[in-house]
Amino acid sequence: MANDRTDLMQGTLELLILKTLSHDSMHGYGIAQRIHQSVDNLLKIEDGSLYPALYRMEERGWIGSEWGVSENNRRAKFYKLTRAGRKRLDAECANWDRISRAVTKILQTA
Amino acid sequence: MRDLTRKLFDPIGGKAIEREVEEELRFHLEMLTEQHLQQAATPVEARAFALRRFGDVEQVTNQCVEISKRMRPFARALKSFLILIFLAGIFVRIFGTELHVDRVGQMLITVAVMGRLFLYVRGLKPARFRPKSDTTSHLMLNSTAKTPTSLFEADNL
Repeated sequence: MANDRTDLMQGTLELLILKTLSHDSMHGYGIAQRIHQSVDNLLKIEDGSLYPALYRMEERGWIGSEWGVSENNRRAKFYKLTRAGRKRLDAECANWDRISRAVTKILQTA
Repeated sequence: MRDLTRKLFDPIGGKAIEREVEEELRFHLEMLTEQHLQQAATPVEARAFALRRFGDVEQVTNQCVEISKRMRPFARALKSFLILIFLAGIFVRIFGTELHVDRVGQMLITVAVMGRLFLYVRGLKPARFRPKSDTTSHLMLNSTAKTPTSLFEADNL
């Protein structure tokens, strides 16, 4: 089963999180749900893997966090994009676009 | 006063960080369980689904606690202070001509090294010595998925 899966590039999860948070502040569960809905079964993501990524991103200043109340009135930690995070998202999107265009070009010519 | 005592005995705020991380992850697991319960699963099945979809809870908790400890301003300030003491100790040892001044420098260096060692040991987690998982990333292309429910149940096939 493991052979049928391909590890994605480092930083992909961070890019997905940055993009997800670009519209709204969300708690970890909400981010996971949004990503699952968006990738529509194409990617396998363990929900737990989001949290070390979120903490690392907060350490780098890309996102901020604060405790709040969830939609079902429970205490939850909400994350939001910082200005540095928005810049990072723009840079990562441009980078992703460059890489995907380069790989596509090679695949078409080779 | 109680806050100061807590900071002296637990300078990084390790217990508070652990509680905070555990609360955040518990919320996620409970939401996942509820989500599956709404799909007519039994509580046991729902809990199993939540754990399967979440991954290794203990490993995630340890990673988050470790990263969070690095972010704490008090811990950062304490580390910077210890570096300053260490540099002051070296300065005093180099430029101190008298024996008692030299000893003060030696004492400063010892305090700085012991303090840093204390912080390091407190930050250690047994999980660090565990072998790494055979997969390097938790994010993978799912080429075998055919139905939405198979997304997180592929491991059981």
